[in-house]
Amino acid sequence: MPLTRQQASRNQRGRARAQETRDQLQPAKKSRGLVPGERKFARRNPPLPLDHFLYPGREAHPMAPFRDEHLVLIAPGSELTLAQLGLPEAYCPAKLRLQTRMFPAEKPGEYEPHRIRKVTTTSTSTTAPTTTPGASGQPPKEDVEMKDDGASAPREETAEGTEKAETEPEPAQEVIYEEDVMSDEGAVYPIRDGRIVNRNALFALIQHVYNLLSPPLHTPILIVAQPSWTQTDREEITRFVFEHFSTPGFAYVDAALATAWGYGVLNALVIDVGKTKTDVSAVINSVPQRYGRGIALSGCGGDAMTDRLLELLGSKGFTREMCEQLKRSDIAEILPPGTALPGAAATAHQSTPAVHPGESAGGNFAPTEGASDNNGTDEGVLDVAAIVSGDTSEYLANMEKDKSTGKKVDPKQPNAQKERASFQFEEFVEMENDAQAGGSKRYKRNTREITVGVERFLAATPRQRAGPLLSNGILEDIASQVQYAINCCPNDKRNELWSNIIIVGAGSRVRGFNQALLGAITQKFLNSPSASIFTSEIPSTFSTPLPTGGTNTPAQMGPGQAQPSLQHHPAAHGLNPLLVAATHNNPGIPAAPGTPGMDQGQQHRAGHFQGPTVIKATKFPEYNSEFKGRPNSNAPGASSGPGSTSRGGHGPEEAAFLGAQVCAKIFFVIDQGQLKTFMARSEYNEFGPEGMGEFCIA
Amino acid sequence: MNPSNPPQAAEYGGDEVSAIVLDPGYSTTRAGFAGEDAPKSVIPTYYGKYNYEGKERLVFGDNMFVQPRAGISVHNPIGKDGIVEDWDMAEKVWEYSFASRLTATKPDNPFHNGLNDISSEELPAEMEVETDEKPLADTPLLMSEPGWNPAKAREKTIEIAMEKWGTPAFYLARNGVLAAFASGKASALVIDIGASNISVTPVHDGMILKRGVQHSPLGGDYISSQIRALFKKNSPQPITITPHYLISSKTAVEAGQPPQANYRTFPADRAPDASYRALQEERTLAEFKECVVQTWPGPNKLSGPGPRESQTKNSLAARRAVFGVDRFRVVESLFDVKAAIPDPDSPVPAPTQAQTLPEVIKASLAGVDVDIRPHLLSNVVVTGASSLVYGFTERLNQELMTLFPGPRVRVSAPGNTSERRFGSWIGGSILASLGTFHQMWISKKEYEEHGANIVEKRCK
Repeated sequence: MPLTRQQASRNQRGRARAQETRDQLQPAKKSRGLVPGERKFARRNPPLPLDHFLYPGREAHPMAPFRDEHLVLIAPGSELTLAQLGLPEAYCPAKLRLQTRMFPAEKPGEYEPHRIRKVTTTSTSTTAPTTTPGASGQPPKEDVEMKDDGASAPREETAEGTEKAETEPEPAQEVIYEEDVMSDEGAVYPIRDGRIVNRNALFALIQHVYNLLSPPLHTPILIVAQPSWTQTDREEITRFVFEHFSTPGFAYVDAALATAWGYGVLNALVIDVGKTKTDVSAVINSVPQRYGRGIALSGCGGDAMTDRLLELLGSKGFTREMCEQLKRSDIAEILPPGTALPGAAATAHQSTPAVHPGESAGGNFAPTEGASDNNGTDEGVLDVAAIVSGDTSEYLANMEKDKSTGKKVDPKQPNAQKERASFQFEEFVEMENDAQAGGSKRYKRNTREITVGVERFLAATPRQRAGPLLSNGILEDIASQVQYAINCCPNDKRNELWSNIIIVGAGSRVRGFNQALLGAITQKFLNSPSASIFTSEIPSTFSTPLPTGGTNTPAQMGPGQAQPSLQHHPAAHGLNPLLVAATHNNPGIPAAPGTPGMDQGQQHRAGHFQGPTVIKATKFPEYNSEFKGRPNSNAPGASSGPGSTSRGGHGPEEAAFLGAQVCAKIFFVIDQGQLKTFMARSEYNEFGPEGMGEFCIA
Repeated sequence: MNPSNPPQAAEYGGDEVSAIVLDPGYSTTRAGFAGEDAPKSVIPTYYGKYNYEGKERLVFGDNMFVQPRAGISVHNPIGKDGIVEDWDMAEKVWEYSFASRLTATKPDNPFHNGLNDISSEELPAEMEVETDEKPLADTPLLMSEPGWNPAKAREKTIEIAMEKWGTPAFYLARNGVLAAFASGKASALVIDIGASNISVTPVHDGMILKRGVQHSPLGGDYISSQIRALFKKNSPQPITITPHYLISSKTAVEAGQPPQANYRTFPADRAPDASYRALQEERTLAEFKECVVQTWPGPNKLSGPGPRESQTKNSLAARRAVFGVDRFRVVESLFDVKAAIPDPDSPVPAPTQAQTLPEVIKASLAGVDVDIRPHLLSNVVVTGASSLVYGFTERLNQELMTLFPGPRVRVSAPGNTSERRFGSWIGGSILASLGTFHQMWISKKEYEEHGANIVEKRCK
């Protein structure tokens, strides 16, 4: 638009008008709190001042305060959904763990938590499998306990299906609806690769979880949101929660943020290794960074390692299930890059025939003698009815005991030096010859020992058939993403991120994974502090202050918890201590004689960054003793479904759930909505689900 | 339109719904909801193309930097001058920028469920099937454009927004104006240092002064080409740039020593295209720009020889090299064409004096009425990611003082990296969330009545 003289003369008038318009806008903005942008813009500084949480003296939310025991946490993942009602005294791993899957119900669009099979029978007997003690009432507590075993033990579950069966005890041609808790046939998986692919099924799952927890009315809900969820997904879940439950408050927390808080840090690079994907997120001042965030890096999860093992061992007669259990077992290990494989196989590992399935010559994987002796038929048979009648945990505990006593461990040699090792492979086999009325199934548990060679160290090596991806193994892919994510962050924060790497997720449970990943990142990106006198870079730790004892960390908010010890451990996690020492000593190196002008030029460039000189992992705070246990066991349940829940302790890989507990405490109990960390029902009524974006901090 | 009449809710989609602000650039495309302080989705405008299982597939987003595909080649739908060249692909890239993170219409649609690799043949057919499922069916859209965008391109843009995406309301704003808004000014001289272009846009009362809009190709990519030229003439041997994806491990070496690293190799039939490598090299160069490149602070020209300070750099193929005064030289030719490092092989033509920043600013101000020049000079806004080169704003200030000694010159550049990078997006976010902006939207009805030409009349 060419400038006319008239316009130029309107200059003054125009400016006045602009001012006028602005003045008009101001009151308009205030009166209409509805403009979605306005308040968001007011929060121009995303870093959440955590100190505010410590001063709850301000105007509280006009509703009765929430209590610790009345909080519902739900963390849906691609594979497992973790949930819990109430915060325990010391934060602990999730009490309720379910597979994230639903089954289509009879009516299209509805879902059941278990597969319902229609059995037409002429038998007159009452339905044997459905006469459960818990069938009449609400899901009792023990039901929740049983969830710990996930699908590892066949069990009966109270649901509509059984009740239908109970009401029809008529003889002749009756239709029995039977729940098959073992089967995953026809299952619908609401979340795949972290993305919500079937919203209705996810809603059904949330409903199911909610029913299992059966919380009281005044119960706020916190959902751990995966990074892959879009704004629309979040809004739809908000709508569902408010319209189906009587919840007075609802909040999201980003999984990466929850993890960082679980570790008690505000700045971290969170690597979440899941089933089929990995998320890499940089968290700065408790805000997950959007740019360069590695969302659902495909082919970088636990499944990729299983697939790689299958690729290596498939020709040796291994099934996928065997590889899965091998991956979970103690003998599978990922060695740090550069480590030689044990034995002569180190040079030609790809071609080494290394599998020696038992001693039996004929059968491929016939149970070895020892195995069949120890776990003979008597405890190898799981009786569904026996379990249903209530003594599940005892029953399984006995079996576990038997199993563990049968293990022979060589204490001398570390696994990484053994050329061969064996693990117990366990599977359930349905017994054919059993003809109990009502269709109850009996399962035989077979245990056998399988010996594997050095292939067990190669789970993270690049796959042969990687599709179009030019992958160099999952470790390098993740390492690239880590570098990309950090390089998208502001300059002055990068060093802090490089030295605060957190690796979580079930995929990281594979033995040695964390060290190997750190090693891969280090060897690809570390700029070691050179002794070169020309080095003008300020040592990286210079701009990375040590955390100050945790006075403003969320972790401190936990009830009855000791002061977190957040000191850095310079030599943590396989990093060369000499390297660290060299970094710290850097200031002591005398400046080059010929560059006296250096100081002036360099001083203001201290924030400039030349790649990491320190790469290390954040140490998991020790006071979370409940999250200690980290046994790698290929639980027998592993064979009953794709990667079922394993019994035993859950370690720092579930830090996201720990962080979710911290968040719930802060959001609902301590802060009580002053910082709009959650959406209250009155606010939902006012703004609708679209307003949710303003009620979560990340 | 009479501003005293409140518009009908149906005309602009209602103020309950946040508009989406889309700011397409040559290097990155920014998208997010109006009213927020930074775009939620920032993706490269580059997209990848490769063949897999006999079909041509496309990949969008930054995942291609991290996970290279076999035989991938990289393209950009936007031409060097910032004007869209390939409309079909521009539409897809832009759609990906908001559909992947913001709207995600139908979970099962392979385009939106993020599986990300779509065959370009399948896509159009699918879009036809879902005629009623348009990605922006209930969201108003504000887009930005360069100040020199031709009328044809503007009409094409509204056509895509209205017909392909089904947006109920649309507006097209000049990115210079938006950048001025982002720094709270209605009148300003906006200097935008982008990837492919630098542009100077005089803005007065929220309108661009079209005669004063100037642009020249000496943007961030030009700086990269200068760095490449610098590496080439490095002695004793030229420095080659090896992007990260080709390095699997490296060992630290002393400065000037040959690098020690394990490189990755790909079989010839799977190796990524040269364009992919070039783009990855840009990333390495971006690191170089961030930590080594500096703008000579002035006031006198950079000419005197002699090493001043030294910097080391390690990420060039595990190489550590020392750069002295050269690190100033690569940016210097933005101001002084004589300082350009000659590179006859470079695809980027050597700059002319008229393309340098001082000349462009001069030309821009020459096109503006003399009365408002002082006002503009006291409101210089610097935006664009390439302006983050160290010391750039100080030097610019210096140059402006020299060029215009009389009037008061005030350069304002946000110190916050994200505000500098996303200046025009943030301006769009502010604009679209203002209550009074609602009368500006072009509604679907108006579009249907008047045709694509309405954008020329309404978005001035």
